[in-house]
Amino acid sequence: MSGERGVRELLLGTWRGRFGIAVLALTVFVAAFGGLLAPYDPYASSTDVLEPPSWSHILGTTENGSDVFSQLLVGTRVSVVVGFAAALISAVVGSIVGLAGGYFGGWTDRILDAFENWFLVIPTLPLMIVLARVLSPSLTVLIAVIGLTSWAGTGRIVRAQVLTLRERPFVERARALGAGDTYIIRTHILPNTLPLIFANTVLIVAVAILSEAALAFLGLGDPTRISWGTMLENAFSSGAPSAGAWWYVVPPGLCITILVLAVSLLGFLFEEYINPRLREAT
Amino acid sequence: MSGRWLAGKVGAAVLTLVFVLVFNFFLFRAVGDPTSQLARLPGATDEQIEQLREDYGLDKPLLGQFADYVGDTVTLDLGISQTTREPVWDEIVAALPWTLLLVGTGTLLATLIGAWMGVKAATHRGTRTDDGLLGFSLFTYASPEYWIGIILILVFAVAWPIFPAGQQVTPGVEFASWFDEALDVVDHLILPMTAMTLMLLGQYFLIMRSSMVDVLTEDFITVKRATGLSRERVINRHAVPNALLPLVTLSAIQFGAVAGGAITIETVFSWPGLGELSFNAINDKDFPMLQGTFLVFSFGVIFANLLADVLYFYLDPRVQSR
Amino acid sequence: MSKGIKVAVTVVVALASFALALVALPAAAQDSTSAAPGGAGNVLRIGWAQDPNTLNPFVGQDEEAYTVWALNWDLPINFSPKTLGPAPGIAESWEVSEDRKTVTLTLDPGMKWSDGKPITSRDVKWSLEQLGGHGILFAGYTSGITRIETPDPETVVIHTKRPDARIVGGLFVYVLPEHVWGKVPLSRLKGQYQPKLPLVGSGPYVVTEYERRKIITMERNPNWRGEPGPYDQVQFIRYGNQDAVERALDLGEIDLVREVESSSFARLGEQEDVSTRRSATPAYTQLAFNLCPERLCPDAEFNPAVQDRTVRQAIAYAVDREKLNEIATRGTSFVANGILPSYYKAFYETPEQTYPFDPDLANQMLDEAGWTLNDDGVREKDGETLSFDLYVRSESPSTVQMAKLIAEMTREIGVEFNVQVVSTDKLYDLTVRYQDGKPAPAFDTFIWGWGGDPYDPSFLLSILTTGEIGGSSDAFYSNAEYDRLYREQTGIFDTEERKAVIQRMVEITQRDLPYLVLTEDPQLQAYRTDEIETIEPICPEETGDLFCDQVSYDGVLALRPVAGASSETGGGNAGLAGLIGLVVGFIGGVIVTRMRSQGRDEPLELSE
Repeated sequence: MSGERGVRELLLGTWRGRFGIAVLALTVFVAAFGGLLAPYDPYASSTDVLEPPSWSHILGTTENGSDVFSQLLVGTRVSVVVGFAAALISAVVGSIVGLAGGYFGGWTDRILDAFENWFLVIPTLPLMIVLARVLSPSLTVLIAVIGLTSWAGTGRIVRAQVLTLRERPFVERARALGAGDTYIIRTHILPNTLPLIFANTVLIVAVAILSEAALAFLGLGDPTRISWGTMLENAFSSGAPSAGAWWYVVPPGLCITILVLAVSLLGFLFEEYINPRLREAT
Repeated sequence: MSGRWLAGKVGAAVLTLVFVLVFNFFLFRAVGDPTSQLARLPGATDEQIEQLREDYGLDKPLLGQFADYVGDTVTLDLGISQTTREPVWDEIVAALPWTLLLVGTGTLLATLIGAWMGVKAATHRGTRTDDGLLGFSLFTYASPEYWIGIILILVFAVAWPIFPAGQQVTPGVEFASWFDEALDVVDHLILPMTAMTLMLLGQYFLIMRSSMVDVLTEDFITVKRATGLSRERVINRHAVPNALLPLVTLSAIQFGAVAGGAITIETVFSWPGLGELSFNAINDKDFPMLQGTFLVFSFGVIFANLLADVLYFYLDPRVQSR
Repeated sequence: MSKGIKVAVTVVVALASFALALVALPAAAQDSTSAAPGGAGNVLRIGWAQDPNTLNPFVGQDEEAYTVWALNWDLPINFSPKTLGPAPGIAESWEVSEDRKTVTLTLDPGMKWSDGKPITSRDVKWSLEQLGGHGILFAGYTSGITRIETPDPETVVIHTKRPDARIVGGLFVYVLPEHVWGKVPLSRLKGQYQPKLPLVGSGPYVVTEYERRKIITMERNPNWRGEPGPYDQVQFIRYGNQDAVERALDLGEIDLVREVESSSFARLGEQEDVSTRRSATPAYTQLAFNLCPERLCPDAEFNPAVQDRTVRQAIAYAVDREKLNEIATRGTSFVANGILPSYYKAFYETPEQTYPFDPDLANQMLDEAGWTLNDDGVREKDGETLSFDLYVRSESPSTVQMAKLIAEMTREIGVEFNVQVVSTDKLYDLTVRYQDGKPAPAFDTFIWGWGGDPYDPSFLLSILTTGEIGGSSDAFYSNAEYDRLYREQTGIFDTEERKAVIQRMVEITQRDLPYLVLTEDPQLQAYRTDEIETIEPICPEETGDLFCDQVSYDGVLALRPVAGASSETGGGNAGLAGLIGLVVGFIGGVIVTRMRSQGRDEPLELSE
């Protein structure tokens, strides 16, 4: 593992890396400044209902006569914020549970493992739906619900890694020299698991973006904010497909797809980088 | 040894199920008091609300409520839907076959097509065929399945209306025979099934492809080739069956994702299955129904996982020797 | 090799003919089904996104259920489809006593339920007492009744505490057959009970088939007392979502949609063979102010300036309601003038004070009242600022838009509205908040709506009475004169006399402005002109909707199918046939090439 150069090579050396980085950079930029770039107020309605694309509305208008392009730009933020924040929560919870279980073993491990198993097996979307419906939807609730239901995979991977690390000579040596648990975890275990956590978290970003969109499509999104998922919900429930309004239906879904694709490709790349054996297969 | 392994798996599944029950019970009791909604109706009197609390057993202590709940669930009494006033279990039983039909055909097609594509890609590794198949499946893997569903409606039900895009059968028609009715159902099934297939396809393709690539580099394939068998014959007779193994388990494990897909796809196509039941329950805040569908989805997924373990156990000799 | 090709060809031919058979059969079958029952297949097909959750009126709560009930059951006294005034229903005639506290209904002795049993006074009494007493949506209408007597099968005597005009003009409680419903214990009626089919009724059609989430079929009631309905069957077809309903109308699968989205209203109107109808309803959307007096709500939280009448009047002048309607609802609603919707033709009169758009006058009023502009362009006086929270529901995009427009408009007169988009639940919680057992509403203003009964305006008028504080009242308005007039009008049976009193109530609220009523909500409908001949809007005449939705059966009786229109359900299996052809062709092709390649490449195999 030759540090920085390897990473740069990884990200910029392949088309997958370049594509992923380019899309991600553009999306983050739009998420930050989308409101300023939008030609119209995305919430403002007008009498031009479901107009096809034209020079004044390059992606046409919605069922309320709002500008689709402006909504698309402003909606980027929710996807990005929910995607990254939920993945972060998931990474933190997953790492803590995995570290604790793997390092301490015994009953701690058994209980945490059963817990993990439960989250791994339970169908995620139905679980998210139940939670989101019971708590009333808002951005925070979405982030929490998605983050707290998708950490089990990370936990499992971290635990496996910690189990092997725990038996390594350098850890045993440190313990023999009288180092405390916190010290060992901080200096030996965590640094060696971080790359793994990182790669896995990138993949969870993709899952979180898809989950937010699905919840929003089912009417469980933050009602006060536009996101790509709520755009699809509004388009569908207002009869845009019947009106043949492809300009309203296609862009939000395409944006979700491209972003998820980019993030997933980056995630796969990191996974391969950490685990070179995988590289053979692709 | 193997018997104990199996018993352990079953035990774990049962434990998970118990977790689901506890979770289900506390979540809905803690936040979803079914009477709070009714109290919002201007017409509802205090007596009506009291009566309702009694009907739902909310006047008992918590532990008693939990005992009641477990007892009821075991005897398949999942409560009464707050909107239709029908037993939740009856509604689920009516909806289940439709979900199984959609999910079953979708999974079957996705497995077949995904496996076929995977073999093609692996045997043509690095060519344009491989790139094309890889790109296509990555795209379907990354796109929301309900969006694909809406696009299918846009193309095949609006722009070029050759397929119906809602319900499972043409309403208001009396069919001359069961055969006509079955044909009508198939007609209605095609679009949602296609959406379900496209949603699952990517996973199967990727797994099959990498599994195939692994198998093709293994020693016994090289040996077979050396004995003079044709390439195609080696692939079909020896490589594919070996590479299929991970696919079998994947189809069972993917049930979690399938459950999510069932909800969104059934919503888009008004397909009268469990997913649409859940969607309506979300909208109507019909908590007993939401609780019931969640339970059934969870049970299905836990069972499918157990099945995957068992299948794997019988198919892969390496596990047995453990 | 030649043998292999032969096999392949045989298989392909066999499969192709199989496919052809598949496609040909259903086409023939469908022709025979459409012609089978009831002659020319005279079916009125109405599409909707969701169907009723239940047909049991004790627990049913959705609009769709009313649409079905209105065809299945008659009311004690019906609505006249032209004026919405009282008309014969179950009661052939009625009489009001001298003191107006007793109403005597007389039934037609020959009347029968759809199952042949006679309709008697027992049915009326049972329904008023049980459904009127316990039905979730019917409990309010019978609150004034003290006693019901049935001296003989044709006579019902209703006694009330005080004169109550609603007994004649608004007793919106369906009469159910006591011999069916009376056998079921009340606890079951209020619980899981699902009525048996056919749904024994007194209207022109009765429900004969109810497949939940699919279809409701109603057929002619053989014992219907009037002219038989124009259709053999009325079908309500459920599509699951609005998009699918509108698509079905486009494709001609259905004849009529009882409610379309405002966004697709214009588009459907331009469609060939489709016509649309925009009609008035007894519902409105209002900007409500928190007027709760200190003595009733000591812990209410609001900006006290909202209780300054001059401020509210100035706001009313500054809000251009025409423009709100034009932009926020794209002109599909109607501009409102006061708390009584123009839908109530018999009682409606444009109020004297309508607050026409006049920002100059608004500015002048505030100047005179001593409100001066501060540095931010917002008016203030004695430490109070004209800056209000304005809550809107996220579920209603059009009212969110209205709120933003209002905020823009009032900025011109130095009044600031901070638009807060919240969920319906949240807004509800803000308005019905309680503290120490007393109402403690926590808002300055909000936009929401109310819907009234089809012909008696009492419910809409009651919302602003003092008695409703802690009940329906969400402006917490209290005015003794208004309360007195409200009680007075409920007891007046003469329409003209009652209209004058209601008029005075409207003027009081137009002066005090607990509500600035913005728009009257429309009902938007669409129908196929190649299936339904002419439609004369009724309920009420001219301004009403296509078929008296949820109000009465008269609308459906007035519809006329186009002669010779096919009610064959479209569709067919074109796509399926094509797909089967494709698959067959593909398999055939694979087989052919496979046979060939095997023949050529694998001599080993053949030699075996």
